[in-house]
Amino acid sequence: MVAIMAKPVEQTDYDDLVELAKTQAAAMGRLYELYYDRIFRFCVHRLFNRATAEDVTSTVFLTVARMMRGFKGRTEQDFRAWVYTIAANQANAYIRKTSRRKRLMENVVAARRADDQDSGESEWSSLDWPTLYAAIGQLKPEHQTILTLRFFENMDYDEIGRVVEARPATVRVTLHRVLHRLGDELRSDLGGEE
Amino acid sequence: MSDNEHDFQKLVAGLKVNDEPDATHRERLRRQMLQTYEEAARGGISNLKFQISNLKRLAIAAVVLVAVVMGAWALLRSGGPMSFDQVQVATEKMPWMRAAVRGNQIAEGRLVHHWYNFAAKLTYTTMADGSVLGWDYGDRRESLVYSPRRNAIVVTELGPAWPFGTDSGYNLVDAFAAFAAKDGVETTTWTTEYEGKTVRGYEVEATVRGVSVEGRSAARLRIAVLADPATRRIVAANLEYLNQAGAMLGREEWAIDYPPSGPSGLYDLGVPAGARVIDLRQQPTGTPSDEPVVIPTPAPTGSRNLVPLEIKLPRPQFVGTPQDARTPYLEQPRGRPRPPFLVPPGTTNLAAGKPVSASDREPLYGSLDMVTDGDKEADDGSFIELGPKPQYVTIDLGERCEIYAILVWHYHKLPRVYFDVVVQVSNDKTFRTGVQTVFNNDRDNSLGLGAGTNLHYTETNEGKLIDSKGTQGRYVRLYSNGNTSDDLNHYIEVEVYGRPVRLIKDN
Repeated sequence: MVAIMAKPVEQTDYDDLVELAKTQAAAMGRLYELYYDRIFRFCVHRLFNRATAEDVTSTVFLTVARMMRGFKGRTEQDFRAWVYTIAANQANAYIRKTSRRKRLMENVVAARRADDQDSGESEWSSLDWPTLYAAIGQLKPEHQTILTLRFFENMDYDEIGRVVEARPATVRVTLHRVLHRLGDELRSDLGGEE
Repeated sequence: MSDNEHDFQKLVAGLKVNDEPDATHRERLRRQMLQTYEEAARGGISNLKFQISNLKRLAIAAVVLVAVVMGAWALLRSGGPMSFDQVQVATEKMPWMRAAVRGNQIAEGRLVHHWYNFAAKLTYTTMADGSVLGWDYGDRRESLVYSPRRNAIVVTELGPAWPFGTDSGYNLVDAFAAFAAKDGVETTTWTTEYEGKTVRGYEVEATVRGVSVEGRSAARLRIAVLADPATRRIVAANLEYLNQAGAMLGREEWAIDYPPSGPSGLYDLGVPAGARVIDLRQQPTGTPSDEPVVIPTPAPTGSRNLVPLEIKLPRPQFVGTPQDARTPYLEQPRGRPRPPFLVPPGTTNLAAGKPVSASDREPLYGSLDMVTDGDKEADDGSFIELGPKPQYVTIDLGERCEIYAILVWHYHKLPRVYFDVVVQVSNDKTFRTGVQTVFNNDRDNSLGLGAGTNLHYTETNEGKLIDSKGTQGRYVRLYSNGNTSDDLNHYIEVEVYGRPVRLIKDN
């Protein structure tokens, strides 16, 4: 944690907005506009389902609204880490609490395969979304979070570390292992193809 | 970026997914979010400390001045600065204190209520799921837990731990005082507004033990209370649970009032009169068969010497938290370390790294290989979670082995009791033939494997040691059927101590 705390905090044009949002609804609304799309997309990539992603996105921003006045961070970077932490926790909580997840995954994969066949866009000789979703679904929720933050949110190791409360080096090693495991899953799904 | 990262990045870039936000949802949520934001400002106590923006500073200055004058007047009227000791005395003079609690870990829109009777040292809590809890810290020294799911009240003796993770203090006021009295803990005070009144704020932050929020261990607790100078009684409180790194695990807001009377028992709080009462203090305790004994048949080992089994224990995660036990025939805590368990020389953990299969092929959390990966800590990434209802895991030892002891850690972060724990050994991977049961506490035969006579037990960092008395087999299967916290099944680690039969014969 020392390494994370010692890292110089990036200054952005929105740092003042974060401070103002602690007391002003208009500023809070502006922050919401800045982050709604990002958090929604993050939730889609974590939960594989638009309706569920909307529900979780709602929970995230209602939580932010309730707690914003007590938020201790001062910069947009602090806020970003905070809101993604809430989103990751809410997504993981949803995954753990629902026993329907496996069925949900199967439905999503089946629906997407059907869509791809109808459109004629997908060839089974190559990787497609259903296969990737199914493989990602085999990972631990925390590992799915790291994968999503890295490849769909384009965060660096420092930023991911702030969200998942881990050292950047730990994030890097974990991601390395996750990708290896994902590779194994994908090769298995594709009948052993490299 | 490493090669495999780069490859994966390219792969993702080539795929399509519909992640376009819906404008209607965005706008609807925006309205809800701003409404919640305004409500938090008006009704909540999340802004216990005055937070003044630069732009509003001048506009609010006059209000602040009035508040300060009113506060000073209140202080003068009460004869000087109000200490927390005075607040404690005035608060605990009241016959009952009632708190409506909401928090980010409590179901949306639902409240938890606490009732304190200071004179009798009684505490009642009604939970959002219909559970009702009672603690008598006075004469009876007992804990009562009503579970609506089982329609039963379980009565146990009070454990050594205190609420809020303090060393003493059964209620919020005492807990605050206990924290404030600790060396190195400072009490911060300030004056602010709450529900139109000028009130005095007090805040402490201290380390806690045995407190967890949604399964995550809390290292520190920050309590802020607001007291009305006119009555000197607490009117609101704010609790924040923090982990070791200082991140907030949970937050509670308490709105407090003082009704003239309170519940006379659990039945006044909605517990049905017909609820079954299970008094665990009257249950038999301990089973000789559970105690470690000398392995009775060491002869095949070729050696008469037995050695203590070396077991590396994980870190303990709680200290004497009151048990949430809802089942009879519960083994009482030993209260001391487990005595040494003797095994033939050459005994090792045969399960280490061995393949694991399960009735639930896809754990809700974690992966099956974690059952035998050697990680026994109760950290968030160290356990697997199998689905509800009866579930089992099977460990393939790779060959027929003579098994002396099986150690299992289901989930020792909380003092849970897992139901219908059955452990079997067989050479048949389907467990249809040659099955030997080495432990069974399924007393009502819920699993259909036969009624067992072993006692239920509370999870601790020592794990459950099962004396398997040299039973031989290749496969070890462990059943469970939910636990006292939920219907799910968990495993942190299973160890199987013994020796391959071929090595024994070679000797």
